[in-house]
Amino acid sequence: MPSVWISLLIRLAAVALAGLVVGAIFGAATGALVACGILLLMLLAHTAHLARLQRWLKAPEQSDIPDAWGAWGNVFVDLYRMLRRERKARARIEGDLEVFSQAAEASPDGLVFLDADDHIVWCNRVSEQHLGLRGERDVGLLVTNLIRLPGFAEFIASAMEGASLLYRPPERKGRVLSLEAIRFGKDRKLLISFDVTQIERAETVRRDFVANVSHELRTPLTVISGFIEHLVDDPPHNPRELKHQLSIMDEQAGRMLRLVEDLLTLSRIEEEAQLPREEEFDVRDLIYDVSAEGRRLSGGRHSITCEVIPAFLKGSREELRSAFSNLVSNAVRYTPEGGRILLRWATREGKGIFSVEDSGIGIPEEHIPRLTERFYRVDRGRSRESGGTGLGLSIVKHVLLRHQASLEIGSIPGVGSTFSAVFPAWRVTSPQG
Amino acid sequence: MPHSEHLSKQYDSDLEDIRSRVLQMGGLVESQILAAIECFGTGNYDLMAQVTDTDRRVNSYEVEIDDACTHVIAKRQPAASDLRLIMAVSKIVTDLERTGDEAEKIARMAKNIYDRGRLQIPRSADVRHAGQLAVAMLRRVLDAMARLDAGEAERIIAEDVAIDDEFRGIVRQLVTFVMEDPRTISTVLDIVWIAKAIERIGDHAKNIAEQVIYIVHGTDVRHTAREDHGEPDGAPQ
Repeated sequence: MPSVWISLLIRLAAVALAGLVVGAIFGAATGALVACGILLLMLLAHTAHLARLQRWLKAPEQSDIPDAWGAWGNVFVDLYRMLRRERKARARIEGDLEVFSQAAEASPDGLVFLDADDHIVWCNRVSEQHLGLRGERDVGLLVTNLIRLPGFAEFIASAMEGASLLYRPPERKGRVLSLEAIRFGKDRKLLISFDVTQIERAETVRRDFVANVSHELRTPLTVISGFIEHLVDDPPHNPRELKHQLSIMDEQAGRMLRLVEDLLTLSRIEEEAQLPREEEFDVRDLIYDVSAEGRRLSGGRHSITCEVIPAFLKGSREELRSAFSNLVSNAVRYTPEGGRILLRWATREGKGIFSVEDSGIGIPEEHIPRLTERFYRVDRGRSRESGGTGLGLSIVKHVLLRHQASLEIGSIPGVGSTFSAVFPAWRVTSPQG
Repeated sequence: MPHSEHLSKQYDSDLEDIRSRVLQMGGLVESQILAAIECFGTGNYDLMAQVTDTDRRVNSYEVEIDDACTHVIAKRQPAASDLRLIMAVSKIVTDLERTGDEAEKIARMAKNIYDRGRLQIPRSADVRHAGQLAVAMLRRVLDAMARLDAGEAERIIAEDVAIDDEFRGIVRQLVTFVMEDPRTISTVLDIVWIAKAIERIGDHAKNIAEQVIYIVHGTDVRHTAREDHGEPDGAPQ
């Protein structure tokens, strides 16, 4: 029998005994009255405890468990223990939940949890940015009401494994997202959004590159094969005409050769992570070298001057020579006859700067960020007629990257452009100190 | 969710289904306008055919949703906010359907222009910009409907003025263009039609925004002057 019943029996026996004793001394009526009085007091005490328990149960968080005597004390202590266990368990679960939601929040991909009817249950911050959701406010809304891309409703309804949908969010120009829907648990779904802008862009660049190379090679090849066909069918008897045709073929073959050489240079630079041979060399010698080369290319049509202070640079002389000479030959190509070209070596806060300044046609601002892309041309017709391969600045960029240097381009259309290669201080030594 | 107090679960899901179908229809119209504007920018004939094709789907959405609304009224006798939703939806689908027609008109006019072999289109960038504004407006109004956000709907109504201004600006510039070179008249007329269609899309978006406010607050804000832009609204037709 539980102890509560035993103690009740003992107490009732004590009350009955007290009643009997009093009854024996003062008469039966008084005895019964006393027994009733004690019972009434006990009832009052119980009710008071019950009231305290009730009060405490209404707001168990706010006050401690009340003290009590007897059986009530045991009840209160048991209750208190249970509460403490519950609190601990809840704290542990909350902690786990917190860790899980922090992990979901830290994901670089957008995550949206959906219930059985595709209502939003929870979404992380990345998905808010990706899909234009508003976090808490959108919980409970149908995801298809907010993302209304045609085809999305069917996509999310089927939630096929491995299926993905490309989404260009209207609020964020130029971004491309890949959406995937995954079923989990019992008829729940997880919508994941990946940012695939870079991948898409790389894919476009690759496609463009193949198309461009083919195009650039085909043009001279068409010319050459046209002349060869002509020579086979109907060889000219006039040696002067023959010489003219051969010289055009030679010129076109040279163009193809330059292109292939540039491509090889570019792929070699890209392939090798390490610089082939680092040496310390005199910058002045190199700049005088490339300026002489520039003068040969210009054929006296431009005034090319150098402004260099003595300095030594650490790096691959051969590669830097190719980069510098590309910058100079660009300046020669895009500067009209009679223009000025200035080659300069200067230092700024310890950094070494090689710059080529021209009084050429300049570059409209919107083209500048894309100049170093392969085959990017500001004006298609013009640059090909001037003999460029379209790879020069790509080579410059890669060579400079390998020397931890950067390319800065400043230009005003109609006034001129300045291309500067900025080298980190540790690659530069100035004899003056 | 706004309709969770009904005893019948089926009723709830009927109402939610109607709302989400309207939004799906809106998404379709949105993509249709974007495609139409791209037609105008690029002269892509395949896309023009696609715009016309989409219009058929938009029309069938309208019929389906209207039918669903009639069914709910007949079967459930909706009251209060449910009735407002049904009434507003039947007006919104009309506006959306007309918006789709405007998109089709844009594609048709673009085809006219490119058929004529004109490669230089005056004010093309401005027209496309106005088109982007109109699409953004429609998108935001649909978002407001999904979220039952009356505040956003009110902001959108105020912004319709921007598209009207764009339209007037484009027309003004086109007039000077025609005066300089009268041979461009037919092309310019087509462009005016396109600009007008875009301006109408803005008006339809505004009408939808008014219906969203009606759903949420139950107040009819049509044909009422608003102090924030100080002139009475043009009457929606």
